Amino acid sequence: MSSRSLARMIRRGAALAVVALLLLVVLFPVLWLVLMSVRTEAESFRMPPQLFFTPTAKNYLDLMQSKFFRAFENSVVTSTATTVLSLLLGVPAAYALGRAQLRPERLLSLWVLATRMAPPIAFGIPFFLIYIRLDLIDTRLGLVLIYLSFNLSLVIWMMRAFFEGLPASLEEAAYIDGAGVVGAFVRVTLPLSAPGLATTAIFCFLLSWNDFFYSLILTRSEAVTAPVAIVNFMDYERWEYGKITAAASLIMLPVVAFSLAVRKYLIRGLTAGAVKG
Amino acid sequence: MSHTSRSHRFSRRQFLGGAAAAGALAAARPVLAQAPAVRGKVTIKMMQVGHAYAAGLTENLAVFEQKTGIKAEIDQMSFPILNQRSDLELSTGSGAYDVLQMIFIRSGRWIRAGWAEPLNPFLDKDDLGDFAAGALAPFRRGDTIYAIPWLADSTVVGYRVDILEKGGYPKPPETFEALQEMAAKIFTKETAAFVTQDNLHWIWPNWLMSYGGNFFANPPDDLSPRLDSPEAVKTAEMFTTLLSKYSPPGGAKLNQDIAEAMMHQGKAAYYLDGFGNVQHIIDKAKTQFADSMAFGNTPSGPKGHFPQLAVHGYLINKGSKKKEAAWEFIKWATGKEMMLQNALNKGHLACTRSSVLNHPEVKKKFTWHGSDLPALHETVMKRAGAGYMAYRTVPQFPPIGDRVIIALTAIASGQASAAEGMKAAQRDVEALLRKDGIQIKS
Repeated sequence: MSSRSLARMIRRGAALAVVALLLLVVLFPVLWLVLMSVRTEAESFRMPPQLFFTPTAKNYLDLMQSKFFRAFENSVVTSTATTVLSLLLGVPAAYALGRAQLRPERLLSLWVLATRMAPPIAFGIPFFLIYIRLDLIDTRLGLVLIYLSFNLSLVIWMMRAFFEGLPASLEEAAYIDGAGVVGAFVRVTLPLSAPGLATTAIFCFLLSWNDFFYSLILTRSEAVTAPVAIVNFMDYERWEYGKITAAASLIMLPVVAFSLAVRKYLIRGLTAGAVKG
Repeated sequence: MSHTSRSHRFSRRQFLGGAAAAGALAAARPVLAQAPAVRGKVTIKMMQVGHAYAAGLTENLAVFEQKTGIKAEIDQMSFPILNQRSDLELSTGSGAYDVLQMIFIRSGRWIRAGWAEPLNPFLDKDDLGDFAAGALAPFRRGDTIYAIPWLADSTVVGYRVDILEKGGYPKPPETFEALQEMAAKIFTKETAAFVTQDNLHWIWPNWLMSYGGNFFANPPDDLSPRLDSPEAVKTAEMFTTLLSKYSPPGGAKLNQDIAEAMMHQGKAAYYLDGFGNVQHIIDKAKTQFADSMAFGNTPSGPKGHFPQLAVHGYLINKGSKKKEAAWEFIKWATGKEMMLQNALNKGHLACTRSSVLNHPEVKKKFTWHGSDLPALHETVMKRAGAGYMAYRTVPQFPPIGDRVIIALTAIASGQASAAEGMKAAQRDVEALLRKDGIQIKS
């Protein structure tokens, strides 16, 4: 082996070691959480912590006896429904705002952001009171509507930028070929904006999935979502660390799975427009 | 013509459809007739913190329904969530929950706001005498009672007899000065001398009041804060010294589970906290040191003995439309039978009824190596009946308590001296009270 290729190998090895170290630092809290979820409570509190131990599934089995899975189901249903509805309603709106030659377009786009102009707490009590009158408290529909209100602005702003990045001449070519506005949008524009759709969908899903505040305020027992259910494992006399860590490990799974499924588009979506050429 | 004919056919269909609908309605009448009986069945909702007591109630809801015909649903949640939801439900008058937990430090605000229904029309005065004075005091305004207590958490100490004896202490120290000396003597790197939980505004007053200090000049009448008084500064210094020098690492920020785990693992020798937490140090499933543990009173100071007492009760929501049924539930949930059952089956030592604490089976269950734990708990409840816990139920207490925790943590971590830390807290609390319209006297 030549000294040059040896040097290249050492450089590559060192770079990999640095990446591995950085990964360990970044992922350590997650790793510790998952490890705690397969330890007994006594093991979790042992000082100094033991690196080697016999893993247990007890925390996950205990979790199955609790109401957590109902809350998990609520999270899956509300987040998925919100994501789908936000995209269905927000993407055409973003396209219209991106393409239409309207004078008040900027103003319209600004007002779309109105629901995000104040912290959620400012809307909490008004929504609570309205929801009581509409009988929407403690319902999945109520949560979906509220998530929709702040996800729509995200979809419209993110997707408008993607649409503006696509040349209008592609749609004009479709018009010449006989397509209408909807046809050009569905057959030409949407497929080209798949990375943007994937990125936006992930952010929508994450915003709803991780919401704590509205779930706390607008649910009671039936529509409680997973983030609130986890906090409820903190009893008066003791915190159920086993269940908390097992639930927290489970709550990460759908997001990780979804992100892995669309990661190809996600990276393209995040870097779209970064380089012009 | 054909149009007319179609119209005619349609009318006939309509007639037949209408007849069928009428028939269906007629057939459904017996079912509908049963409806009032179903509607007449009362369902009430209750919310409270997740607790063994609530678990005991939940297991027996069928018995309650059988006795009274009232169906009850209990929502249990953690304290952070309960605090938020209770405030929201009560302040908006939603009436969705008929019975709520009267949270000790929020009781003053809720009673002042008129969110709790006065219970006097429902009360059996003879039965009321069974509750310890200190347990009822926070929910009483004059002769009016606003909640019935189900939990009273009294501060006590749990300690390792073997370690204290080795340090020359056959009995736990009776004064806070002596505790300080003992801590210096028995502290080792392997075993901390002292441990407590991070809700410091609950622990520190054991010191503060024993030295003649208080949060306010004369609560609830005079709420001028006294957080920078010489007594407050001295006891803040003493208390935080224990946290920073003689506790396990991070001594000011250990929650009750970690504090208990320190005792279980033999990493700490002396634990001061509410009985609800301290009682778990003898859980043989978690520790090999159970037989070396004992319990005792908190130390005293120059001005006397001021163990703390936190009480939680059940209230009837002013907005409830089913107050009679709500009272039936409270009567059952805090009754002798239910409390005794929870003491024996759920390990609920923090009872509020004297008759339960003096029940032979309860005495037997909670006597540990000759120590009568129910008696220890009852002593604290009686002592707190003197009214010195009034500072905790003033409506403004919750944010003030939080500010005191910040001050004590800053002192314990060396970010401020005791005098500086408490002066800063005093300044902030004065501003907070002024904002609430409280007149502050110097």
